[in-house]
Amino acid sequence: MAGNRPPHNDRTRPTRSPTGNGQDRGGPVRQEDRSPKRARASLDQMHTRLLGVGLGFFGLFGAVALKLAFATVIMPMEPEKRQIASQVPDIPKSDPKGQLTGDFALPDIHRATIIDRNGQTLALSLPVAQVYANPMELIDPAEAARKLKTVLPDLDEAETARRLSLRKQFVYIARDISPVQEIAINNLGIPGIYFEASERRHYPLGRTAAHILGGVDIDDHGIAGVERHFNTRLNTDRTPLRLSLDVRVQAVTRDVLQTAKDEFQAIGAAAIVMDVNTGEIIAMVSLPDYDANAFGKAPADSRFNRAVTGMYEPGSTFKLQTAAMAIQYGIAHIWDRFSTIPIHIGRFTISDIKSDHFAPWLALPDVLAKSSNPAAAHIALDVGAKKQQDWLRLMGFFDRVPIELPEASRPIVPSLRNWGLSTVMTVGFGHGVAEPPLSIVRGTAAFVNGGILIKPTLLARIQDDNSAQEADGANPDGTNTETGPGSGIGQGMKDGATGSAGKIDASGAVVPTAFRPSGGSATGSAPSASPALPRPEGIRVVSEENSALLRKMLRLDVTQGTARSAEVPGYFVGGKTGTAEKVGPNGRYLKHVNISAFTSIFPMNAPRYAVYVMLDSPHPTPKTHGFVTSGWNAAPTTGKLIARIGPMLGLFPDIKNAARIDAEMAIPLEPGIPPGRRALGPGNDPGDPRIAARREKAEKAASKAAEKAARAARRHSERG
Amino acid sequence: MKWQKRLWRPEPSFRLLGKLLQINWFYVLLICVLAGVGYLALYSAGGGAARPFARPQMVRFAFGLVMMIVVALTSPRLLRLLSIPVYLAAITLLTLVLRMGHVGKGAERWINLAGIQFQPSEFAKIALVLALASWFHRIDIRRMGNPLRLVAPALLTLLPVVLVLKEPNLGTAVIIGVIGASMFFAAGMRLWQILILVAPIPFLGKFVYAHLHDYQKARIDTFLHPEHDPLGAGYNIIQSKIALGSGGMWGEGYLRGTQGQLNFLPEKQTDFIFTMIGEEWGYVGAISVIGLLSLLVIGGMLMALRSRNQFGRLLALGISVDFFLYCAVNLSMVMGVIPVGGVPLPLISYGGSAMLTMMFGFGLLLSAWVHRNEPDRVERASGR
Repeated sequence: MAGNRPPHNDRTRPTRSPTGNGQDRGGPVRQEDRSPKRARASLDQMHTRLLGVGLGFFGLFGAVALKLAFATVIMPMEPEKRQIASQVPDIPKSDPKGQLTGDFALPDIHRATIIDRNGQTLALSLPVAQVYANPMELIDPAEAARKLKTVLPDLDEAETARRLSLRKQFVYIARDISPVQEIAINNLGIPGIYFEASERRHYPLGRTAAHILGGVDIDDHGIAGVERHFNTRLNTDRTPLRLSLDVRVQAVTRDVLQTAKDEFQAIGAAAIVMDVNTGEIIAMVSLPDYDANAFGKAPADSRFNRAVTGMYEPGSTFKLQTAAMAIQYGIAHIWDRFSTIPIHIGRFTISDIKSDHFAPWLALPDVLAKSSNPAAAHIALDVGAKKQQDWLRLMGFFDRVPIELPEASRPIVPSLRNWGLSTVMTVGFGHGVAEPPLSIVRGTAAFVNGGILIKPTLLARIQDDNSAQEADGANPDGTNTETGPGSGIGQGMKDGATGSAGKIDASGAVVPTAFRPSGGSATGSAPSASPALPRPEGIRVVSEENSALLRKMLRLDVTQGTARSAEVPGYFVGGKTGTAEKVGPNGRYLKHVNISAFTSIFPMNAPRYAVYVMLDSPHPTPKTHGFVTSGWNAAPTTGKLIARIGPMLGLFPDIKNAARIDAEMAIPLEPGIPPGRRALGPGNDPGDPRIAARREKAEKAASKAAEKAARAARRHSERG
Repeated sequence: MKWQKRLWRPEPSFRLLGKLLQINWFYVLLICVLAGVGYLALYSAGGGAARPFARPQMVRFAFGLVMMIVVALTSPRLLRLLSIPVYLAAITLLTLVLRMGHVGKGAERWINLAGIQFQPSEFAKIALVLALASWFHRIDIRRMGNPLRLVAPALLTLLPVVLVLKEPNLGTAVIIGVIGASMFFAAGMRLWQILILVAPIPFLGKFVYAHLHDYQKARIDTFLHPEHDPLGAGYNIIQSKIALGSGGMWGEGYLRGTQGQLNFLPEKQTDFIFTMIGEEWGYVGAISVIGLLSLLVIGGMLMALRSRNQFGRLLALGISVDFFLYCAVNLSMVMGVIPVGGVPLPLISYGGSAMLTMMFGFGLLLSAWVHRNEPDRVERASGR
C-alpha cells in the first residue's frame, strides 16, 4: 500500500505494484497508457512547466529586488531627509545614547523662493522646528512638562506630563515652533528633548496670485499651481524662481475683478493679462480665490482656477476665429457679405436677439461689430468642416492649453467623426465647444502680434539676469540687454522716458510715443513697429497683412460695435465680446444665465497686452438696463482695468495723436468691392445653409442607397 | 466498507515517527526564521514593545506551527477526501460573509467565528488549491486534451473568484484566479486551450474596469499619478516610498525609523510592514528578507518537482504560487509598482487569518514532500 508504506528513501525502489490501490481505480487501463514513452513525455512536459513557473518566480523576485534597490539606494525619494534631520545644535552631551548621529547642520531652507518679475516675494520658506521627546531618557516627566510650559504657553501641562510618562521612544510635544522658542527650550537643559528641523511655506500676499502659486502640503510638496509644476526645480535649485507675473498688476486686476463680481453679483470671475508678443502672463486671477497659506482648508470652488481649468463656451468671441480662418484661407474678404437671416436646422433656429435691426446682408467687419450669429454660421459653412477642424487644431483649440500649471485641462470639443453641418455652424459662433479662457486669449493674441501663435508662460523671459531684471523695475517687456545698464537706471522714472520718447515721435509715424517701451526704444531706428519689442516666437497662423486687418476689425468692435463700453481714451482698446448661455443641469441652455466675457488687446495700433475679463452668471443691474451680455459688464470692467494697469505697464494714454491713430486704424463697416472682384453676397452664396443642408442630405441619401444596393447585391450573390 | 477501515486504521507510532523525520526540517527552519523576522518587525512597529503586535502574533505562529506539523503528517488520501468538505466550507463562509459579514474599511471581508475575526477569502485560496489538486489527480494528464475535463475545475475556480469579487476584494479575487490558472497550466492543460482562454482577457479587463467601484478606480488612478492626491489615497504610497528612501543602504537602525516610529506610515504593522523593515534595516536588510521569502518559494517549487504524484506536485505548486503572490503583490504594492490593495506580507505582517491559513498551506506543502515517493499511475507507466 503506497499510502501506508514507511516513506523512507525509496525513490530507487521499484514501485510498480501489481495490486491497484486507491489511486488507480480508473477503470480498465487503455493500451496507450501502458506506453512508457508517452507517460515519460507527459511527465517531462509537466516538469518543464513547473520549472518554468519556478524560473518565472525567480525572475519576478529579481525584479522586485531591483525595484527595492532603486527605492532605497539608487533613487531614494529625497527631500524627506531634511525634515527629520536633527536641528539640535552640536551638543553631544544631550545625546548620551548617540541616537542622533549625523546631521547637526543649522537650519537652512531647502525650497526656493518664488518671486515675481520685479523681484517681489510671492512664496518663501521659513525655518520652524518640531519638538519631541524620548520619554525613556527623561528623568522627571512632570518637571519637564512644567519647564516646557514656561516657553510654550499653549501647552497642556497635565496631558504632556502624562504622555511623557509613556513607555515610548517618541512623543511629540509641539509643532512648528519658532527658532526663538527652540533656543529657549534648548536652554532649559532637559535631557531627552529633541528638535526636528523643518520649514514652512509662507505666502505673504495671501490671496493675491493664489491660483498661480497653488500651495504645498504639510510636507512642503507642491500640490497645486506653480508649486507643483516646478516642485523638483524648487527643491533642487535654490535660486529664486522668477515668474512673469507683475504682482502690482495682479493685485489691481484682482481688485477690479472683485469689484465687478460684487457689482454684478456674479458667482465667479476670471481675468488674464498677457503679453501678446512674449506670451508672458502678467496677471491671472480667478474668483472666488483662497489664501495660499491655507490651501488645504479652501473649498473646492475657490481652488478652481477658472482661467485655465474652467471650460466655457467662448460664444461670440469665437467669431473672430471664424473670420480670421476665412480670411487666412482666402475664402472670405472684408468686402464679402453674409446673410443674417435666421437659419433653421432641425428643431433649432440660429438667429440674433436683435435681428430686426440688422440688414439682411452684412459685410465681414460689420458681422464682427454687430456680432451676428447666422452670418458667422454662414462664414463657417463657406469654410467647411475639414478646414474648420484644421484651423482649430492649428490654433491649439483641441489640446490642453500649454501653461506651467498642472490644473490646465483638455477642452471639450465635439467628436471629430460627428462634425456635421450643425456643428460647423454652431462652432462658427462659439457654441458647442468649451475652451479655457487662456486658450481664447492665446488665440486672439496670435491675430494681433503679426500672426504668430505664441506659447503662454508663467516664467519671466530672462530668468538668470538678475541685474537687468532688477533695473527693469516696472517695465515688464524684458528689455533687451544691448541697451546697456544705463537705460535700466532711467526706467524708474517713467516721465523722463516718455518725454525723451516724445521727440522720436516725429520719426516713428505709427507707434505713439507713449507705447514705446520706455527704456529700450531709444534707438528709434525702425519706424513701422516698436523696435524694442521682442519678436513673437511660435508658429505663424495668419500673415502679417491679415494680422493688420484683424487688428482694425478688433478695434472696430470697440469704436462702433458691441464693446463700446470698453474704450479707454488714448489706449486704443480693441476686442471682441462673447456671451454664452450656461448649460443647466438638464443639459439645456439657461436663458439669462450667462458666461459673459470680453477679450481685448491694447493698444491696438501696436499691440502689447491682451486683457481678458470673464464674469460667470452676472446679474442685471439698473445701470445695465436689465442686460447681462458682455458689452454691459465684462467690457466696461475691462476698460476700468486697462485704465488702471496701463501706467503700471509703462504705457500712458496718448490723447494728442488720438485722432490720427484712430483714422489710421479705421475700417469701413461696409467696405467697397474692388473692381474685378465678385464678392460673396446675395446671389453668390455658396455657403447658404439650405444648399449645404441639401447637399448633406443628398450625400446621406446617396450613401444609404449605395449601402442598400451593396446589401441587395450581397443577398443576390448568396442566393445565387 | 473496506476503504473506510483502511483510512481510519490507526498507524503504528513508529511510522508516524518515520514521517516526522521525513519532514523537510530545513524548510521549517526557514519558516521559523521568517516568523522571527516578523517578530522583530512587529516589535518595532509596536514602538519598541512586544505588545500590542509582536506577542499575539507569536502565539498564533506557535499554534500554526503545531497545525502545520499535524497537516504535514496527514496522508494524501485523507487530504483528498477532506478537500471536498473544506472547499464547501470555504464557499459557505464566503457566502456568509456576503450576507452578514463585518464591514471593515469599506468592504465586507471579515466574519466573526466564535469571537474570532476571520477573513474567509484567505481560507478559500487554500481550499481551492486542495480541491483543484484533488480533481486533477483523478484525471490522467495524458487525457487532459479533452476540454470537457476542464469544465468542473474551471467552475471550482470561478465560484470563489466571483464571491470574493462581490465582497468586493479585487486583489484577492485576482490572486485566486491566478492560483487557479497556474494549477491548470501545471496540470498539463494543452497550449491551444490556454490560448483560447487568454485571448479574451483584454476585453474582459475593459469590462471589469467599467464595473469597478469608485474607490478601486481611484486606486488605479492614484497608482498612475500618486502625486495627484498626496493627502488622500496617494498618501500611503508616498509615505512608503519616503520611508524606503530614507532607509538607504544600511537603514536608520532598529527602532529608529522615523517614518514608522513617528506614525507617518499608516498600516505599518500590516500591509506596510516591509516598508518599516526597509527603513530600519535598509536595502541590505530588506533584500535579505526578500531572499528568505524567495527561498521559501523556490523550496516549494523544488518540492513540487520532486513529487512523484500529481496530487503532491499540484499541491506544492498551488501553495508556492499562493505564497509567492502574497509576497509579490505586497512588495510591489509598498514600492508603488501596483495599486494598493489589502494584501499582507505572509509570515511577517500582523494578522491571524493570513498567518494561520499560510501555516495550514505550508502543512499541505510539507505533506506533499513527506509523501513524495508515492508514485501515481503516470509515474508507474513511465517506468522510472
